[in-house]
Amino acid sequence: MLTEAKPTGLKKIKKKDKPTETVPDTNTNELKEEKKRNKSLGQKRGVTVMGSRSKATVVGQHDIEAFKSDGALSEKNKRKLLRKMKRKRDRMNVSEIGKVDVLHDYVEYALDEQNGEHTHGKKEDGKLRKKGRRTEKTKKAGIDKVNVLRKKVEDDSKEENGKSRKARRSKKGHLSSKKEEKALEKSEPAQDEVYEISSGDEDCSRGMRKWITEYHQSRPGLEILQHRIDDFMTAYEEQEEQARKEQEALAAEGGWTVVVHHKGRKKTTDTESGIAVGSVAQAAVLEREAKKKSKTKDVGVDFYRFQKREAQRNEIMALQSKFEQDKKRIQQLRAARKFRPY
Amino acid sequence: MASDTLNGPTNLKVRELLKEVQLDYSPSFTKLVDDTVSAIKDAIDRIPQDLQVTADVAPGFVRDIGADKVEFTFKKPISVEIGGSYSMRCIAKPDVNVDVFVRMPKEMFHEKDYLNHRYHAKRFLYLCIIKRYLKLSSVAEKVEWSTFQNESRKPILVVHPAMRIAEAPIVLVRIIPTATSVFNVAKLNMKRNNIRALNQGAVLQPTPKYNSSILEDLFLEDNAEFVRRTFLGWNELGEALILLKVWARQRSSIYTHDCLSGFLISVIMVYLASKSGGNRIKKSMNTMQIFRVMMDFIAASKLWETGLFFHPQGEWNTSKEFCPRGECICILVVHMSPHEVNMWSHHPEDVVEGDVAQQRHRRCTERRSSLQSFPVIICDEFAGFNLTFRMTKGGFLELRNEAALTLSGIDKCRDGGFDEVFMTKVDFPAKYDYCIRLNLKGSMEVNALGFCLDDECWRSYEQKVLSLMHQGLNDRAKVIRVIWRNTPLGCNLEDGLSMFDREPLLIGISVNTLENAFRFVDIGPNAENKNEALKFRKFWGDKAELRRFKDGTIAESTVWECKQWERHLIIKRISEHVLMRHLSLSQDSITTIVDQLDFSLRYGNEDPLSFSASLLEAFEVLSKHLRLLDDIPLTVSSVQPLDPGFLSQPKLPILYYGIDLQGYVYVIIFATVILDITAFRFTSVFPPKPHPLALEKGVKQRFQSPTSSCIQSLEVMIQLEGSGNWPMGDVAIEKTKSAFLLKIGQSLQSNWGMICNATEDDVVVFTSGYAFRLKILHEKGLTLTKWPMGSNQVKRVPSTDKILYMRSQHASMINGLQGRYPIYGPVVRLAKRWVAAHLLSTSLGEEAIELLVAYLFLKPLPFHAPSSRITGFLRFLRLLSEYDWAFSALVVDINGDLTLNDEKEVNGNFISSRKAYEENMQNTSPAMFLATAYDRVSEAWTRSSPTSSELRRLAAYAKSSANLLAKLNLEDQLDLYRWECLFRTPLSNYNAIVLLHRDRLPYPQHLLFPSEVNQGMHVVRGKPSKKFHPFLLPGDMKGSLEELKHKLMVNFDPLRCFVGDIEASIILKKSFSSFEYRTVCHCSEPWRGELILSSLHLQKEFPNKFKVWYDSLGGDAIGLTWEQSGSKKRGREEIAEEEDLFNVLKSVGEVGKGFVRSIYLPKAPKLK
Repeated sequence: MLTEAKPTGLKKIKKKDKPTETVPDTNTNELKEEKKRNKSLGQKRGVTVMGSRSKATVVGQHDIEAFKSDGALSEKNKRKLLRKMKRKRDRMNVSEIGKVDVLHDYVEYALDEQNGEHTHGKKEDGKLRKKGRRTEKTKKAGIDKVNVLRKKVEDDSKEENGKSRKARRSKKGHLSSKKEEKALEKSEPAQDEVYEISSGDEDCSRGMRKWITEYHQSRPGLEILQHRIDDFMTAYEEQEEQARKEQEALAAEGGWTVVVHHKGRKKTTDTESGIAVGSVAQAAVLEREAKKKSKTKDVGVDFYRFQKREAQRNEIMALQSKFEQDKKRIQQLRAARKFRPY
Repeated sequence: MASDTLNGPTNLKVRELLKEVQLDYSPSFTKLVDDTVSAIKDAIDRIPQDLQVTADVAPGFVRDIGADKVEFTFKKPISVEIGGSYSMRCIAKPDVNVDVFVRMPKEMFHEKDYLNHRYHAKRFLYLCIIKRYLKLSSVAEKVEWSTFQNESRKPILVVHPAMRIAEAPIVLVRIIPTATSVFNVAKLNMKRNNIRALNQGAVLQPTPKYNSSILEDLFLEDNAEFVRRTFLGWNELGEALILLKVWARQRSSIYTHDCLSGFLISVIMVYLASKSGGNRIKKSMNTMQIFRVMMDFIAASKLWETGLFFHPQGEWNTSKEFCPRGECICILVVHMSPHEVNMWSHHPEDVVEGDVAQQRHRRCTERRSSLQSFPVIICDEFAGFNLTFRMTKGGFLELRNEAALTLSGIDKCRDGGFDEVFMTKVDFPAKYDYCIRLNLKGSMEVNALGFCLDDECWRSYEQKVLSLMHQGLNDRAKVIRVIWRNTPLGCNLEDGLSMFDREPLLIGISVNTLENAFRFVDIGPNAENKNEALKFRKFWGDKAELRRFKDGTIAESTVWECKQWERHLIIKRISEHVLMRHLSLSQDSITTIVDQLDFSLRYGNEDPLSFSASLLEAFEVLSKHLRLLDDIPLTVSSVQPLDPGFLSQPKLPILYYGIDLQGYVYVIIFATVILDITAFRFTSVFPPKPHPLALEKGVKQRFQSPTSSCIQSLEVMIQLEGSGNWPMGDVAIEKTKSAFLLKIGQSLQSNWGMICNATEDDVVVFTSGYAFRLKILHEKGLTLTKWPMGSNQVKRVPSTDKILYMRSQHASMINGLQGRYPIYGPVVRLAKRWVAAHLLSTSLGEEAIELLVAYLFLKPLPFHAPSSRITGFLRFLRLLSEYDWAFSALVVDINGDLTLNDEKEVNGNFISSRKAYEENMQNTSPAMFLATAYDRVSEAWTRSSPTSSELRRLAAYAKSSANLLAKLNLEDQLDLYRWECLFRTPLSNYNAIVLLHRDRLPYPQHLLFPSEVNQGMHVVRGKPSKKFHPFLLPGDMKGSLEELKHKLMVNFDPLRCFVGDIEASIILKKSFSSFEYRTVCHCSEPWRGELILSSLHLQKEFPNKFKVWYDSLGGDAIGLTWEQSGSKKRGREEIAEEEDLFNVLKSVGEVGKGFVRSIYLPKAPKLK
């Protein structure tokens, strides 16, 4: 489209006119159909009250869609209409004739609205054209601008096209299946639309029911639990045994085994024979170790002069680094405004 | 530099503080002040001379202070000059007051105007005229009344200047009239009576306060100049003064009319810097040293007993010979300005011709004795009157206490106590354990004798209340402070003084020891001692009873019977009784801050703590049975109650991995979050009640209605005797433990009829109405650590045994602490309730809260350890909001067993953890570094939560709650609703809110407030499940007892299940790549796969930012937050996002089917 030569304003309008004209067309056609349908529905309705009610809501939904298809409607009008429609729907429940009439009214009203919008669009186009002219006067640079403007208009018309098509499709969808309708609703949830969840009592995959079943399932009784653990332990022992055997086999094959140095002698148990040497509190062990360490350390810390010197230097270094750290910290604190006493 | 390094960061911090509070005397600013003052001067000059002024200008004021002759002709002031702290360059921001002294001319006073408040009345009328003309001029935007040191008879004018500079702080000009050399000083001697109305018969009652009040004005300028001279050019002294002002201002109990003022601080400093004060402050000292000397002097000096006296300077040194004690104040003859000579010559005793030295000595001792009526004496240099004539004994004692506390803070606290000394607010609500507020508006009794006698009626009333409280509480209270600040700003003083009772009177009580404070009986005098007994009866009225005591004495006594958990109310009852009896106040006008928050801890009408005795009994029985078990392979060697739930972890469920025989298959067990309560140490918000179904077999039970269908278990740790037969792998160890526990359970069940309820992970035993969950600690497990899967290798997950070990350490330490401080429990309960009520249970675990509160008791400086729940709670909130979490570790040393080296180690750990943080900015763990003796790297409770953003939220909530709480303490709020606000969380702070079915919560009685959302968008609505009911229905009761017992659910909490399921879906996504996730889908049930899919969906839009906030104590609301992804998005994507959002919320709703009532979006997304 961009490659197209300089467009004139007229062309633009025409382009825009085309799709917009189609919209009311389809609308009117469908609405006529709808009227017919409603009439027939009304006849049915005379027979059962229930049916009528359900139908009424369907019609209401239908209305919303018809109205949604009207992409050009302003937000304000939308709301006004919604209110009106609500009122109308209420009335619809009262009498069928009124309903049909009202529907007719509404359709006309909507059409009027759209026309109004249309004329408005025309005006805007006029403006654009004017602008275009002006820009033409400014020659080269102007052309680009016009192109842009034209593109915008075209985009608009395209969108409108798309929407009307969508509307049509959605209507079909409505007639054929409810699913798509739902999807449409989801994309634009209205204020009073709330997703309902069931109590979940029939479904044990999620929610309260699941938690309760899990709770009960985890308590099968002492014996069963004991069995499970026993099973696990035998399996575990077998596995261990197997691993040991494999290792032994490997060693027996004359291969090499890696000798691992076990540090320390403080074994409280002998892993192979399982002789208990007695349990020693962790804290006590650590303490003893710490004591030993400190003892060994005590000797010769400041024995040589160079040690003393080094210690001194280290201390000074530590102090300096601490000072630097403090300074940094205070800068950060200042940034955080931590020095405002009140 | 060198000194800085040595003194550490204190000096650096002090420098920063000074920068923050010192006023910048820039040329533009000084010009502004000068211009303003000269404009004021001009305005005053424009007042027509010889204007006749009569009482009609302010009839109300003149009437109320009782002056008789007040007419005078207006004359221009002799001088208008800037004085006070501005002239000394010692102003401490944010109050920038420029004092302007307006010297009233002598001609407008008669010689005898010092009598009967005539001086005060004329002084006020003079100001009225000035005010009138200032209002006409363009200098002042507003002119208001205030009072000089809260003394109602000495008002001053506060001018809000119209001129302002944008960058400079707002300046207020205070116009203070002075009366230099107007009266004969001798006539204002402390022993003279100058209010004739006060005389009864022939006895002339001295009016020392009245006289001092006039003398103060006579020498105001001289004293200010004297102080200024010392400060001039002495930079360190000035800075120290500013620091002292900051220090005092943070302490609202001492920076008051009856204690300290900025001027008095500077006078004490001048004293210490002068020869009279022994040159204690030397020129070589730096700012902090001067500060320390001041504190030391205030806290410890013996000179206060005799008073501070300024020596004459220069050649008058010889006076020492005559005044051996060195308190001579004979300055009068020293600097003889002409007017002074004139003044003193009127004095009848002033025989100047005699031996001058002798004379002076005589006068000196005389004056000292004349000042003895004041509790504190700082004698001024000029007229020998007491500069501290307003200071009361109570105020002074409080000052000394504060100074002593500050000194210990400097010595003991981190960074020289900088935060404790300068940054911590020591206000009434945080300092005193009990605050009582008297609303005395319109009370006739206060000014029954007239507003101003020697002392003002409000000050006498303060003293009256104080003595009553002392008598009523005697040794229950350590300190009682009564303060009635009554200068309403911007009031109309011309109409009189009756509006001075508008502000409430505050009583602060510090408790002595809890044993004293909570005593039931006060024993009075013996019945035989008739006089004393009569007095006692008179004081206590109908509360006094004659009682015979165990030792046979019969004595008058008062008895304050109440239930065990209401003992903290005894002080309230006593003080209300006494105040109502003696001050004829109604109950409504007395507000005691003590029990306003108790509503959050109660079940119905009683505090569940009342069951603790039976709980301990049950535990004793259980532990006895456990020790005596003989049919298990290893005997039980120790049993310890340990109940803090492992709650800091719910955010990141522990992922166990198991090794299957077929190879590696991940087995995911979401560790059931332990639901324990810290009942044994009285720190749990809701200690469990005995449940009728949890009794042993064969014990008869009575059902109360309604009977809960759930029961919470209490954790008990068991250690077995050592054995070498334990397996090596950690999974195997856990299994072996379970096997042991099952055996124990079976044995208990068959031997003692205790019912055992077991899953693979826990074994719960019912006895005497409680459920105990048994855990085994195996020492070998302590050294094992586990590595979580996924990329996050840095985070170490401690083994179950390690966790158990730390919990046991924690439990025993907290137990000890609770023994030392009985009030610890209630404070922790309030703190936990608060954290949970604000849906922050995920962020701050129960143990972390316990440690934080423990810190308040262990390192209480600058306070004493709290002795009431509300004070403790307030300090907890302040600690949370003000502690410098980013840069310092909090070391909680419960038993005092950390040595200096240990602390160094902790600090090293802290620094290395912060360094890691600096390297990669995202990962601050732990944001809250809590170190204890058993956990020096802060891995136990705050390892993964709170994160830094959670901590910020916590601090922000704590700050606003603390402010509200302090406000509620001090201001009159009639409704209780405001107190509830502390626990009502604003639901609008979340992106989405999930409301739950209240009647499906396991313990609906724990719910504080039912949540409702009114605004925003209702997205999901759910129906309640019929499968669960928190109470046993009548239909359930029909079955046999065994069936009933089966119906009792242990630790079942749908809230946790729900939160767990939501989080599980998030975490699954976090820790598995797509490959792994497929494996999981294969090995677990189909629904889980579905859940993961939905969570994947969720993660796409809100990667890793989806957060759940909930109340673990049984709230009915859950908050969800996420960080909005990139803000600049085009329309279409936004729609897609919104759609996704709805889907996410729907799947959240589906996960909680039967439990979720509704989901709201408080801020409804914009619809296109």
